[in-house]
Amino acid sequence: MFEKFFNPKSVAVIGASRKKNSAGHGILKSLLKGGVFKSNTNRAFKGKIYAVNPNANKILGVKCSASILEIKEKIDLAIIVVPSKIIPEIMKQCAEKKIDSAIIISAGFSEIGKEGIELENEILHIAKKNNIRILGPNCLGLLRPSSNINASFGPCMPRHGNVAFFSQSGALIDSVIDWSLENNFGFSTIVSLGNKIDITSEELLLWAAADKETKAIALYLEDIKDGKKFMEIAKKVSQLKPIIALKAGRLGAGIKAVSSHTGGLAGSYEIYKTAFRQSGVQIADSVDDLFEMSEALANQPPCENGIAIITNGGGAGVLCADHCEELGIKLAKLSRETLYKLDTSGKMHPAYSRNNPLDLVGDALSERYDTAIEILMQQKDIHGLIVIQTLQTMTQPLLDAKAVLKARKKYPGKPIITSYMGGKFSRKAVELLETNKVPDFNVPYKAAKAMKGLIDRYYWLN
Amino acid sequence: MQLSQKEAQTLLKKYKIDFPKTEIFKENYIKRTDLKFPLVLKIDSPDIIHKSDMGLVFTGLKSLHDINQNLRTSATILKMHKIEDYNFQLQETITGDEIIMGMKRDTSFGPVILFGLGGIFVEVIKDVSMRIAPLTKTMCIEMIDSIKGIKILEGYRNAKPANKEKLAELLMKLSDISIKEKQIQEIDFNPVIVNDKKAVVVDARIIAENV
Repeated sequence: MFEKFFNPKSVAVIGASRKKNSAGHGILKSLLKGGVFKSNTNRAFKGKIYAVNPNANKILGVKCSASILEIKEKIDLAIIVVPSKIIPEIMKQCAEKKIDSAIIISAGFSEIGKEGIELENEILHIAKKNNIRILGPNCLGLLRPSSNINASFGPCMPRHGNVAFFSQSGALIDSVIDWSLENNFGFSTIVSLGNKIDITSEELLLWAAADKETKAIALYLEDIKDGKKFMEIAKKVSQLKPIIALKAGRLGAGIKAVSSHTGGLAGSYEIYKTAFRQSGVQIADSVDDLFEMSEALANQPPCENGIAIITNGGGAGVLCADHCEELGIKLAKLSRETLYKLDTSGKMHPAYSRNNPLDLVGDALSERYDTAIEILMQQKDIHGLIVIQTLQTMTQPLLDAKAVLKARKKYPGKPIITSYMGGKFSRKAVELLETNKVPDFNVPYKAAKAMKGLIDRYYWLN
Repeated sequence: MQLSQKEAQTLLKKYKIDFPKTEIFKENYIKRTDLKFPLVLKIDSPDIIHKSDMGLVFTGLKSLHDINQNLRTSATILKMHKIEDYNFQLQETITGDEIIMGMKRDTSFGPVILFGLGGIFVEVIKDVSMRIAPLTKTMCIEMIDSIKGIKILEGYRNAKPANKEKLAELLMKLSDISIKEKQIQEIDFNPVIVNDKKAVVVDARIIAENV
């Protein structure tokens, strides 16, 4: 499914442009170099690249053809960046050239009104008749790091990861890529949905469910045309992989005159939230929430309710416990056996808390973390851990991280989320954690929220 | 288009939904009633959404004299508002907790079912839960249990707990209506009165598509 979109052997940019600031130029460059902005994640597309522009001989070193029909070789994927009015003509040429996969980047369709809607219908008609699948129009394109394809005018290639991101906003993708590079965040695929005249978010959900690289699916949505269909598919896919959605346009109730109480109470966003919950789609409140939850859900197992907090700072532990309570996360009681093991380990500070949150006291070295993590993991009704580290003169961020990773390996069924509170001095340790798929959050609230995501997932599956 | 009380009651009967014994009439003076006192007097009119805001719900009526006095008052208020399309509605009183249940047909997701504490709770606190139909019994119980004010229904200060089973059954029936009666766009059962024995739809506001 969609093999020629995500792993094409040859690509043609129809509407490649010499103008440096145009999308037609940016996309060609993205294919050639992996991105327009410099990044060590950029990879050049390995397949054949063709450019179509009747008024140029060569752009960025690629020979131009006047029309797609002049190209003799087979083309897997057409990326169309010409003015919307001539797209029906271009589509006919694609049909003649036996191209069956096309991304229409150009704007000027249903988003501009009646004239645009007619144009969309015309294009869709040509596409259906000739079995051409269309992504867009009015979209940013798509990116797939493992296929070295950046068929978009996004800034650069993101890091290769295991979250698929489908977005109804193209511009949001641009910023998310930039942000992701700073935050050790990777993607299996990014797709800009555009006006969704042919390929829908539901189809992409099904594709992602089968995609080996994708472990979680992040959605940014503005509207869902067929809610029933979405729910039916999301219900199936969420049994296989976590889906996390951020819905924009939450206000807007009250536009229509309200005739019943129910009508007034069941606002549009409320209905979306209801539909999401009912089909196993987890709800993100903001852009960072979307990706933080996706990261946790892609890399950590679901968690039964009942966790423990380990900290070297009393205050941070209490804060985290407060957040857990607010979110409905249960803190397991440390069993007698656990306390006995801790007491006799010879590693605990005399004043350690003997309670959950387990406060190891400020001078905790990594050995103490290691011992505590191991002993708590052995307790049956502790199903996951939040490990907090505050930075004190003796703290060993890297060694603490290694203790966490050791436990992750030994107890694969129990998630660990860390909150290394700080920044500059814990960066290396955080990188070590995140490259080894342990999500780290700067503040305990976010760690608790991510844990809640894993707990919700557990109860959806069970 | 809003269904009249008669039409609404026909629909309720079809789905075996419990509502109080009711007499519907137009005259502003009556000589007798077969209903059991105390009674409630209401006005049914397509031109009125919030009956109580207009002072058009009279509760605790203990005699014919009470009824006739309030009929006269109502007639005056209706005249003042120039409302001509109306009926009077006399109902037996049910005591218990006030609940709101409702349905709204969403263009994308289909029928959405709503449950919450009624009266001022729904207006001020908006303590409601929702599900998209069709509902299962488990979903109905979940809906009831997931409101913040569930403790009020489970019995507080020696009050008898509300009959959750009957509430769940009523939600199932609402779901059933929403799936089978495609012409119906919105429903308010407001209030539903629930006590330890039953859940009764005291007021039904049903909006159907203009056919």
